[in-house]
Amino acid sequence: MFRLNLKIALRNLWRNKTITAINVGGLAIALAAFILVTMYFTYETSFDKTNPNYKKVYVVGITYPEFKTNYTAAPFAKAIKQNFPEVESAGIIKEGSFELTIKNGKNTLFTKNILAVDYNAAKILDIKPENGLVKPEGDTERLNYLSSKSMKILFPNKTDNKPEIVGYGASNSGITGIIAGSIKNNLHSNFTFDGISIASQLGTGDNYDMNDYTIYIQLKPGTDVADLERKITALYRTELLKSKTDKKAIDELKGISTFLDPLSNQHLRPKAGNDAPYKILIALSVLGIFILVIACINFTNLSIAQAAKRAKEVGIKKVMGAYRSQLTVQFLAEIFIQCFVATIFALILAELVLPYFNSLFQIPLSIWYISNDLFWQLPLILCLITIIAGIYPALALSGFKPALVLKGNFSASKQSSWLRNGLLVFQFSIAVIFIIGLLIINAQLKYMRSQDLGFTANQVVYIKNITIFNKPDKFEPVRDKILKIPGIKSATVATFIPGGTNGVNSYTANGLKANIDFVDVDFDYLKTLDLKLKEGRFFSNEFKTDTLNAAVINESAVVKYGIKHPIGETIRGCNIDYKIVGVIKDFKTQGFESPVQPTIYTIRNPCGGYKLQIMLKISENRMADALAALKAQWPQINPQDGEDFRYEFLDELYGKLFKKQEQLQSVFLAAAFLTIFIAILGLFAFAKYITTGRIKEIALRKILGASHLQIFKLINSSFFVMVLIANTISWPLAYILTKKWLETFAYRIELPLFPFLISAALTILLTIITVSIQANSAVKANPVDALKYE
Amino acid sequence: MIQLNNIEKYYANKGIKNYVLRLVTTTIKQGEFVSIMGPSGAGKSTLLNIIGMLEEPTYGSYEFLGEDVTSLNERKRIELYRNHIGFVFQAYHLIDEMTVYENIEAPLLYKKVGSSERASRIADLLDRFNIVAKKDLFPNQLSGGQQQLVGIARALAAQPSIILADEPTGNLQSAQAEEIMTLFKKLNQEDGITIIQVTHSEKNAQYGNRILHIADGVVKEDVAILS
Repeated sequence: MFRLNLKIALRNLWRNKTITAINVGGLAIALAAFILVTMYFTYETSFDKTNPNYKKVYVVGITYPEFKTNYTAAPFAKAIKQNFPEVESAGIIKEGSFELTIKNGKNTLFTKNILAVDYNAAKILDIKPENGLVKPEGDTERLNYLSSKSMKILFPNKTDNKPEIVGYGASNSGITGIIAGSIKNNLHSNFTFDGISIASQLGTGDNYDMNDYTIYIQLKPGTDVADLERKITALYRTELLKSKTDKKAIDELKGISTFLDPLSNQHLRPKAGNDAPYKILIALSVLGIFILVIACINFTNLSIAQAAKRAKEVGIKKVMGAYRSQLTVQFLAEIFIQCFVATIFALILAELVLPYFNSLFQIPLSIWYISNDLFWQLPLILCLITIIAGIYPALALSGFKPALVLKGNFSASKQSSWLRNGLLVFQFSIAVIFIIGLLIINAQLKYMRSQDLGFTANQVVYIKNITIFNKPDKFEPVRDKILKIPGIKSATVATFIPGGTNGVNSYTANGLKANIDFVDVDFDYLKTLDLKLKEGRFFSNEFKTDTLNAAVINESAVVKYGIKHPIGETIRGCNIDYKIVGVIKDFKTQGFESPVQPTIYTIRNPCGGYKLQIMLKISENRMADALAALKAQWPQINPQDGEDFRYEFLDELYGKLFKKQEQLQSVFLAAAFLTIFIAILGLFAFAKYITTGRIKEIALRKILGASHLQIFKLINSSFFVMVLIANTISWPLAYILTKKWLETFAYRIELPLFPFLISAALTILLTIITVSIQANSAVKANPVDALKYE
Repeated sequence: MIQLNNIEKYYANKGIKNYVLRLVTTTIKQGEFVSIMGPSGAGKSTLLNIIGMLEEPTYGSYEFLGEDVTSLNERKRIELYRNHIGFVFQAYHLIDEMTVYENIEAPLLYKKVGSSERASRIADLLDRFNIVAKKDLFPNQLSGGQQQLVGIARALAAQPSIILADEPTGNLQSAQAEEIMTLFKKLNQEDGITIIQVTHSEKNAQYGNRILHIADGVVKEDVAILS
């Protein structure tokens, strides 16, 4: 019996080839999208899950009145461990702050991130060198390991895991060190590195003012986290009190507390940071589910649409002695076959799209490996979609009364038309939302690309460097040498480059104390970045005091402090009274999402950072020559970096701020295409069914004198109304969603009207084309053929 | 075999009852060949549907093989279909996706007849109706008469005690119709199968041994035919 049913199913599917292809194809495409999303979801939510302590590890972070941070003081880790028995272990880590060059003969490695960890942290975070985790001896020994990839660059022929001696910095620097072995850099972890440096203890000389480390603690099972959080806050305040005496500082302490943030939160939604990745992930998952549901709806829709054809079969089988349940199972099996085939196609499709998907999201996903969760998720999904897509038609079809369907003039279209129409409206609503979303994202991105940033990143080259140029007279000879190269217009050095984050410190002006951004710069900073001066002047060699206490602030800082005539006013910070010599117009160093921060620019700033970021403005037509000359002369210009001349273009670096939006744009582009494609597929089949059902009516109308155009109008009208309804439903939804999205930008477009109109025009046009193609055959047919058919 | 008592069927529309059948009382015995006749809309098909338990009467009682089946649950009704009743339709109603062989086999599958028994029964039927050569064809490759032969073979496959036929020759040319009616008569006389058919044709009715004349839902005449 099963074999026979299978045969009937296959014959049936074969006979309705177009509809079967639409069903299976649409579902396969949607399923492929869903598979990718599922894999992405699994990947993103399982960072560090291989760590056996996964559920017990927490970050200790600090909440300040203005912000939250994971950076705390090293001694605090020890204090926590000593005071609270429920803390099994506490360790600290610190990310490398600058690039390091490591050499072995002619092989050079540039490391961006050498992670410094203490022994406890290595144990908590499951950081294991390949030859095992060893506790370094004494306070000073550091065991340095390089990631396997880095090791391969330095020692291409190395096969054992024995320690090696390497050189640091330029080859003439004479600094050497030992690499204890290699370590696997797990990309599926919050802790990625080029190398790792393990100490038995870190930050032993640090005090509570030096917030340079991140503390990880491992809790004993059954610990009350909220309670511990309160106790750690109390401890932190007590520890801070020890060094503070004045009343004001003590009052400030009340605004400071600590928090515990589980390891599982770190990748997607750390408390000290934003949860945008998490939101995007959820949005993406919802999207995947939506697309799949739409495809399932097509299925349901088409299966019901074919009901009239199958009704006779149901009636006959019932009078031959088939139970309703047997028929239900038969129909479900038929749908299962289609879903199964669709799943196989979906896997092939997903495999084909995966490289693009991986490069878009910069992840290393693959389908074919044994422990892939997909292998148990997929059968589950298959059963789920079979039930979603099949249960209604299976029940509806198997419920037909034989006496009705066998009389011959049975029509199934009436009883479920509201449902089918509703489903179609739903599909189009979602498609419309994605079209509007896509258009608005496009508009915002276009705006971001065309807007005046306030500075020019084009033709600015950023050179990586490890020499500290905090004193202008140290940089002067370097600048002189650089400027001798033809094509280089200006050169400067600063602590931070536009596109990265600036430092924050507290400054007082106009009687107001506030935390504002600072950037320590050198002469020609304004010229190199092409900043616009609002009033006053920028730093200049001609003024001797500029290297001592001159400051330039931006417009936002003027507003923040409420200074009426800023030039000549004093702004105090780091125990220096700076004189404001100029005000520059705001420029968007942080992209478009956050507003320009009040910022102070100074040459001398003992509390600042290292001036390492060299920036050059080079004229475009001599770019290649200038870069070649720089590379050749670099050992003379900057001996410490020696032969390791590396550069990036500032506009490319700044462009990375747009990356997230560009990702979103790609996702929406794909989603808009997919949803509209699937909706049109559904519409195509639905229209085919409707026109076949009305073939007799059309023939009669033609005999009564209706023109072709009138018949086209007649068939299109109901679909037209449905698409209009879909648009009406989606517009307010799309309006709310896109408005919310736009609100995440500090600089954004006004919500435009055209996406709404375009989406309506597009959907209506596509509907009319699709339906008319289907109606065409019915309209062209000879009425006699339709009428004699009985 | 069949005992109908005061069967009524009506549709209530705005409080007005539209009668299709009115107080039909009759008995049909094992081995009878009954033709139900009457003008269009007289209620012939409805009566046959009630006898075939495809419709329920609004009033009255119905006994089949001595059992009250006036309102029967689906499971029991289907048991009766599997073992006692075979249907033949005016529009043949073969399943388009099945071959001739599979169409005849289908009721046996539902009846859970073993495969060798199935094969022999089907072979027997194909042989008897002279359609062995057609067994792998699909219904749309057959003429109307041939389709109806398959329809009857299918009805007989489960070895029912009664065949209900709703205008079995309505769509057929007279030569084919004659063939089908002769077959019915033979089945009735040689195999003792009870047959109830609805027909318009006085000629076809003559093949049976009893005619129920119905008009406006009422049995006007019940005539026996002596052959």
